Amino acid sequence: MTLLKKIADWIDLRIGAREILKKELTGYLLPRNINAWYSLGSVLLFAFALQVLSGILLLIYYVPDADKAFKSVSHIMNEVPFGWLIRMCHAVGSNMMVLALLLHMLSVLFMGSYKRPRELNWLTGFILFTLVQGISLTGYLLPWSQLSFWATTVATNSANAIPVIGPYLVEFLRGGVLVGPPTLGRFFALHVAVIPAGIAALIGAHLFLLKRTGVSTPPFGQKQTSNPCQGDSYHYEDHPGGIPFFPDYALEDLRAIAIYMACFLAVLFFDPYLFFPKDAFIPANPFVTPAHIKPEWYFLANYQTLKIFPNELIGLSLQGAAMTFLALLPFIDRGPERHPLKRPLFLACSVGGLLLWIGLSIWGHFS
Amino acid sequence: MDNSDRRTFLGICLAGLGALVAAAVGWPVFRYLAPASSREAAGKVVIPEKEIAEGEAKFFEYAGSSAVLVRKKDGSLVALSAVCTHLGCIVQWQKDKQDFLCPCHAGHYSADGIVTAGPPPKPLPKIPFSVAGGNITVG
Repeated sequence: MTLLKKIADWIDLRIGAREILKKELTGYLLPRNINAWYSLGSVLLFAFALQVLSGILLLIYYVPDADKAFKSVSHIMNEVPFGWLIRMCHAVGSNMMVLALLLHMLSVLFMGSYKRPRELNWLTGFILFTLVQGISLTGYLLPWSQLSFWATTVATNSANAIPVIGPYLVEFLRGGVLVGPPTLGRFFALHVAVIPAGIAALIGAHLFLLKRTGVSTPPFGQKQTSNPCQGDSYHYEDHPGGIPFFPDYALEDLRAIAIYMACFLAVLFFDPYLFFPKDAFIPANPFVTPAHIKPEWYFLANYQTLKIFPNELIGLSLQGAAMTFLALLPFIDRGPERHPLKRPLFLACSVGGLLLWIGLSIWGHFS
Repeated sequence: MDNSDRRTFLGICLAGLGALVAAAVGWPVFRYLAPASSREAAGKVVIPEKEIAEGEAKFFEYAGSSAVLVRKKDGSLVALSAVCTHLGCIVQWQKDKQDFLCPCHAGHYSADGIVTAGPPPKPLPKIPFSVAGGNITVG
């Protein structure tokens, strides 16, 4: 113990580590009425770290070659000791991360935490959401199964609806007229290098913005629920008399991570193929399109929207408009009130939008 | 039980739990990364006798490493590990001199694997083999 203390003293003498720890951990105060939903950010950081770690481990045996990719994934699943565990962690983890991300966004939405001065926090978070969708889509192709191949064919083909540049864009995305070995190379590079670097950079920006604006006070259990920020000058929202991040809220974060892990491990050990339709176990065959090919659950609403509208351009434009509206929400919804029950129009629109999304997803699943 | 005892007890429980979690995560990762050769027993390698002429050597893979079979001028056979005992480079057969040279640091071995010059500290390990029906079975 004395040796550890000596090392700590040695470091502290040089960089003032204890001062940083005090400021960022025990001295970092959070609102007294903070709730469990605020832990979802930490859960997401943990989930992303797990994806990075399992992804690096998969890279050791995975071969990004159209002739070898499926075999290498089968080798990981069947022959490498605990390969099935690492691969399933990565596949189940991606789905769970998207779910946690959606819940995080919903909590921010309903607590009005995106409002001034946190517009940039929302915007960086929204870009992170699209990047996570991108990393999921590109990762879907890598096992080179029938599911991978045809889901990517359908997803990339959607870009065809864009006037004038559509067909060229599809070819550019695929690296050829059809999905093939060049697509695998591109998607592999995007999946393991470009998008993870983008996500890491944006997580950094997101956390930086959080540090500069301060944690928002939840609108629940308070008389005054309107936005305290006037917007005339820079203001850091501090919480004098609040609860310290460490050890109090760090334990709350740990609890949320434990609950997340319990759900994650429950899927992993009791229903590992929950997210795997049977086409995921058949090697890709460019000459045989399987029946009822469907995307991941979080793309089902998009899939169904494209099915409803006979004109693909209208379907895509509607989705684009909805995404743009969501991205720019802090600049559209500028009212000071943050409590969801005191914002009836917002509540009606958001609950309606959510139900529409769930309804379209269920319809897409059964259609 | 006073507070400090309780604290110590909880600390020990937490450390134990942490060690269990670390082991539960660490063991699969270690097994996943462990090299395949340590998982598989060394198999036998069969080489037809006619493939090695007098004074020649044949290199092949054996037990996840490199090995060499030499038929000396007197017609006798020797099977050796081809990994130099100095720093692990693969030795080369010099037909004209009838010896092995390690090109990394100029270590020399005789056709029997005995160090004749240079820095190698030990001879090349011998590998058991048998000859039957025109085939050499190594291992």
